[in-house]
Amino acid sequence: MPAYYLEVIVVVLGLTLLLVEAFVPLGDRRSLAWLAALGIGVVLCLSFLVSTPEQAEETGRFSALYATDGLALFYKRIALLTTLLVLLMSADYRKILHQYTDPERPQSQAGLGEFFTLPVFACAGLMWMASATDLISIFVSLEAVTMTFYVLVAFMRRNVGSLEAGVKYLILGALSTGFLVYGITWLYGITGQTELSAISEVLKEGAVSKTAALFAFALILVALGFKVGAVPFQFWIPDVYQGAPTPITAFLSVGSKAAGFVVLLRVSEPFIASELISSNVITILTVVAGATLVYGNLAAIPQNNFKRLLAFSSISHAGFLLMALASTPAGGAISQFSISPVSAISFYLAAYLFMTLLAFLVMTLVRTQRGGESIDSFRGLAKTSPFLALTLLIAMMSLAGVPLTAGFIGKFYVFLLAVNQHHYWLVALGVVGAAAGFYYYLKVVRAMYWEAPEDTSAPAIEVSMPTKIALILLIVAVFIFGLDPAPLML
Amino acid sequence: MLQEYIPVLLQILIAGGFAAAALILSVIFGKSAARNPTKDSAYECGMLPVGPGQARFSVKFYLVAMLFVIFDIEVVFLYPWAVTFNELAAGAVEKGQNFFSESYAFFWGMTGFLGILFIAYLYALKKGALRWN
Repeated sequence: MPAYYLEVIVVVLGLTLLLVEAFVPLGDRRSLAWLAALGIGVVLCLSFLVSTPEQAEETGRFSALYATDGLALFYKRIALLTTLLVLLMSADYRKILHQYTDPERPQSQAGLGEFFTLPVFACAGLMWMASATDLISIFVSLEAVTMTFYVLVAFMRRNVGSLEAGVKYLILGALSTGFLVYGITWLYGITGQTELSAISEVLKEGAVSKTAALFAFALILVALGFKVGAVPFQFWIPDVYQGAPTPITAFLSVGSKAAGFVVLLRVSEPFIASELISSNVITILTVVAGATLVYGNLAAIPQNNFKRLLAFSSISHAGFLLMALASTPAGGAISQFSISPVSAISFYLAAYLFMTLLAFLVMTLVRTQRGGESIDSFRGLAKTSPFLALTLLIAMMSLAGVPLTAGFIGKFYVFLLAVNQHHYWLVALGVVGAAAGFYYYLKVVRAMYWEAPEDTSAPAIEVSMPTKIALILLIVAVFIFGLDPAPLML
Repeated sequence: MLQEYIPVLLQILIAGGFAAAALILSVIFGKSAARNPTKDSAYECGMLPVGPGQARFSVKFYLVAMLFVIFDIEVVFLYPWAVTFNELAAGAVEKGQNFFSESYAFFWGMTGFLGILFIAYLYALKKGALRWN
């Protein structure tokens, strides 16, 4: 089965859901979310049946635009898994959503259908981004994802925060698109190509203007920096993450970031491989990584809103990921004690998926049943809902990078790469950032375990069966890949 | 190479210079007479404005506008496709491959695009996007 069947199936699934939503009278729209999650789960299983490029020798124009390598497949699975969990979260979140879309009619479920269907289309876009190897293809897939997110971020239209987030995301998204198009134009102007492999060859020959090539790289880096949340293009992240509906925040912070990184990996590869500009590109990446590490971690310290805290944590993790990218060896020579930056980044993003979605799943439950997102809402959670408190404890430990968790291994590889490339300043900043991480992640743990609940008579938080299964599987994943990272290495 | 752009530079300089000169000269030579409300009113320039400047429109206009854009894009894609269809089809037939192979991608691509648009249209119709009460 060729790899692009997966995207086709996901798009068909989305269209089917739209038709079901419009024509089948559903008693409870939540079944639409289960249906979508089921479909995505099936595609996730199908992704293991996809033929590798060795088996299917493809030629022609299409295969030049579309990679079917292991890297693409890995990020397709990340997109699918994220969407699956986001759909589960959305089903739990529907009450809050309804409160801010149609408060006058408590029985109506109008509008919920779109909220369960749009993530499926976003997923198709994210999967395409993982395979895009042509600048035009990258641009179109990136826009397909961003357009869907514009709608989803501003979905709670009676909530000022959500609207503010939507407007900010729209304006800055449009700005970053402008940078991307301008960068692509320059790159096309100096190389005459839009395919990344062809661009790589032209840049390797070195018969291009160095200034123009660096300018093109800087423009594209700005655009992708917006997507992955690199400093100084991070300023939209805290507000948008805080205002958007919680499942969509999770989607943005995991799915969008992972897809942004795979595009960044693919686009920066020709620049790093070219002897002409390699050292300058590494310097730019190093500076951006250092700034992201410092800003993300230090700005997270004073946060009292848990969702905002996770937004800053998402910036700081982008810093660690960029640190790995900046530690790419110039000639592609990897010493025997190291691993390739591509596998380090991929493993880190997979680990990031497990721990971040774990935190967001618990936060969705607390938000819908305790009614708040500040750290105070988590006070005494260990007494009322010990299982959720333990889950969040594990997520926070992994995010902070405690050994035996997947988060630790991810950070370990990143530091290993940076040390091998003698980026000692970056290592120092990373260590400071990781230490700050321990402080702000454990703030939530302190609230859960050492502080009295706000309302002692509050009932235990109900956890639906699918959510409980998802939580347990994610916890298992955090520990298994924390002990043996090999299955997730590219 | 850059010399080719000198006319553009001159154009910019003249345009900017003319605007600046007009402003500066009017400040120097113009009479700074006392202003009053009558003098500031729209004189021989249409009616005096009545009511607020920002009217509210029904959201239905936006729905119709969005649907228009979608079907406009459909035409934008269909037209060049229809013009080159014979050529593409002849090329595909010459290769003699299966109807579902990559050489027929031009046909399946457009079929998929139209299919997606059709389903979106059904959805909009069912949701009452074209109902106007």
